[in-house]
Amino acid sequence: MKKFFFAFLASLIFVAGCKASAEDRFLDIQEVRSASGITAWLVEDHSLPIISIKFAFAGAGAAQDDPGKQGLAQLASNTLDEGAGDMDSQAFQKALADNSISLRYGAGRDDFTGSLKTLSRRKGLAFNLLRLSLTKPRFDTDAVERMRAANMTRVRNSLSDPEWIAARIQNDIAFAGHPYAMNSGGTLTTLRNITSNDLKSFAAARLTRDRLLIAASGDITKAELSKALDKIFGALPAQGALPPVKDLTVQGGREIALFRKDIPQTIISIIQPGIGRGHPDYHAFQIMNHLYGGSGFGSRLMEEVREKRGLTYGIYSSLYLLDHLKALTISTSTENGSAGEVLSLITAEMKKIQDTPVSDKELSDAKSYLIGSMPLALDSTDDIASIILGLRLDGLPADYLDHVGAKISAVTPADIQKAARQYLEPDALTTVVVGQPENITPTRAIDVLPNVE
Amino acid sequence: MFFFRILPFLLILVLAAPAGAQDKVFNAETFTLTNGMEVVVIPNRRAPVVTHMVWYRVGAADDPPGQSGIAHFVEHLMFKGTKDMPPGEFSKRVKSMGGNDNAFTGHNSTAYFQSISVGSLEAVMKMEADRMLNLTFPPDEVLSERKVVIEERRERTENDPRGYFQEQMRAALFVNHPYANPPVGWFHEVGALERENVKDFYGRWYAPNNAILIVTGDITAKELRPLAERIYGAIPRRDAPARQWTDVPPLLAKMRLTLHHKSIRQPMLSRLYRVPSCAMNRDECLALQVLESILDGGSATRLYKELVVQKKMAVSAGLSYQGSAVSDGTVSASLIPAADVDVEELEWAFDDVLRNLISNGITEDELRTAKDRLKDEAIFARDSLMGPAMIFGQALVASETIDDIEFWPDNIEKVTARQVNDVAHKYLNPDDYGTRPYVTGYLLPPARSEKKE
Repeated sequence: MKKFFFAFLASLIFVAGCKASAEDRFLDIQEVRSASGITAWLVEDHSLPIISIKFAFAGAGAAQDDPGKQGLAQLASNTLDEGAGDMDSQAFQKALADNSISLRYGAGRDDFTGSLKTLSRRKGLAFNLLRLSLTKPRFDTDAVERMRAANMTRVRNSLSDPEWIAARIQNDIAFAGHPYAMNSGGTLTTLRNITSNDLKSFAAARLTRDRLLIAASGDITKAELSKALDKIFGALPAQGALPPVKDLTVQGGREIALFRKDIPQTIISIIQPGIGRGHPDYHAFQIMNHLYGGSGFGSRLMEEVREKRGLTYGIYSSLYLLDHLKALTISTSTENGSAGEVLSLITAEMKKIQDTPVSDKELSDAKSYLIGSMPLALDSTDDIASIILGLRLDGLPADYLDHVGAKISAVTPADIQKAARQYLEPDALTTVVVGQPENITPTRAIDVLPNVE
Repeated sequence: MFFFRILPFLLILVLAAPAGAQDKVFNAETFTLTNGMEVVVIPNRRAPVVTHMVWYRVGAADDPPGQSGIAHFVEHLMFKGTKDMPPGEFSKRVKSMGGNDNAFTGHNSTAYFQSISVGSLEAVMKMEADRMLNLTFPPDEVLSERKVVIEERRERTENDPRGYFQEQMRAALFVNHPYANPPVGWFHEVGALERENVKDFYGRWYAPNNAILIVTGDITAKELRPLAERIYGAIPRRDAPARQWTDVPPLLAKMRLTLHHKSIRQPMLSRLYRVPSCAMNRDECLALQVLESILDGGSATRLYKELVVQKKMAVSAGLSYQGSAVSDGTVSASLIPAADVDVEELEWAFDDVLRNLISNGITEDELRTAKDRLKDEAIFARDSLMGPAMIFGQALVASETIDDIEFWPDNIEKVTARQVNDVAHKYLNPDDYGTRPYVTGYLLPPARSEKKE
């Protein structure tokens, strides 16, 4: 597998422009097509007897849940593996565990995802269990009730977590009027309302082949995978119609919402509009974020707030990219007494990166990191499958990673400053604070948590 | 429990020691430098990258009385400069070479690591060797970093009653033993740590003969040895103190802790037992690992099956054995009662599961399937760079041997039903705990007289 990385590391030294030849690609992604036309992207690697398959039903995630049934996709993700075909929950779970087969489903806001990891010697059984869970889930009352209770417990348990509280409020304000504002994990009321029939309708409407994207890595050949695709996914319905989800920009700019809680440290959670991977300014924006607060140690926020002043254990900015929303978030926590100071530093650093070009050294270090650290993300069979699935979900070509280094290398200090000026909105942030912050003037107080009860 | 210098985005913690069948699991190579520094190399040629770790045989259990948190504070200060490295530069340099770095402190050890392209290995080795010997402790940096550590403590502990509660459970179990103290330190002691304290601590414990170098990835012992001799071998040997910890006296009284807290909505039951670690008793450790998998090897094993699926008294039920320690290990259990079940009733039902296991013994199928699951874990453990380094580091600081790790699957295979029944009877018997009682914890919503938040 070593060969996949060579071209990439070389691009660090020789910089942009050089085209990678077929055998010198960062990841040797092959497209596999089954007899019935199901496709998958595969990175073959026989160095360990492990196979990982990751897949997504694009657009079938929690944003499709009815407001009265928030948590439906989440509950489906917990119950698909709770019995299928002739096997009840215990039989199914025992077959998975006793054969060290890991099968998981996940309900993202946009996509409904699944992942299978198995030793290659158990692949026949693993593929069969995956097929059954997708095409013949039982949703037995007993299993549904158990998973419902587990989810309600998770919600109640989260109520002592101030970061979770901040996220609930941020979603409600920043995504007002949009399905993203809902609680994708469900509320205590909506979780009660979901029935076995809802789960059956969920499977029929959302687990369809027209929205299925598949990635595989590890100890499996193209021919084997091609057969497995039909066996596993062939019996799924060909199509399902889901209502479109609207695009959205971040709401509530200039709002500072306070949830008062008797804790010694204030949680600060900020969001503002951003841009996504397909945008021409994306790489300038990405590097700007890295320098501002994305990189952890070395970022300007970490320098100013933690390293120079000791005001926090961590402060980060991140790109928050969903199908229908592109945003930049900033999160940190600090002693109640310093909350106002930290908030001022966050906006001051935004203004600074708008007003002054970044230095050549700062920029070249950032590029070296962003390009040079890419092979580190390919740590395990699972990680590789995740990266390939990510490319597919973002609609990027299989050779995207061979060329991204050149695009990153081409960004200039002027590009960064332009992106900072165009996209950062230090005076129009949507801010949520949880705790007993000092020197902050909230624009509204939140007493009742949205989408929890 | 580890306290990281920074919250890791991707923490790969393989808690159960791993291994494959018949052959060695990792094929690690080892040698010792002339100054006494041990070296382990775990070749993994999938990508031209390495993880470079230095583990010190010093941790929070070595904090002097009244100075809890000092080992962890020193870990933070290791990033605050040497004669050649300005404060805060370390991580930035690693990043500019395309690498990631972090550090963490547990009771038994302190470890520093970088994941980076193999071409940059020599550079990070030099930086790591430099800070083994040449830390400068600039006074203003010490003061501001002390604030950071206090914010870390607030974030993990003071801000969430679940953090508090865990800390207190441990303190109750490890009476008169340094494992009673949280690695981050008690609030009133961390704030009082002075520059002279940390300088002394560093001077006493940071020596090559008290450290283990572990490199995993695209390198062999033959390639590493000359580098290690030249870089780490140049640091003179210095006597490090023997680790002298006071022990837990025989305890007779049963311990139950109850916390009613206003931000708790969901009652929770916890149990914490003091049991042998792998270093203290290898055979019992192996039997405890099998027992753990029989009690909690997924939802088709005893605890979940009996309490959640069959009796419907709990919403979740989990148990884990932590055997990586110099002194005692622990078994901890965490259960959430069903809506109409009191935490006392659940405690009784949990103990009944143990009573039943102790009086009737485990079944042949349970023994077989648990061993198979554990042996498979060893194969999955190889599917990572950092994972194997963690396994070796934790084991070697506790003076387990390389062979204990390499032949772990064979040793698991040899465990008998009788050994498993014996450790269950000896350490988890609810009705006869001898002189080492367990601690039971009830984390509950406010009692009726208190006001809800």
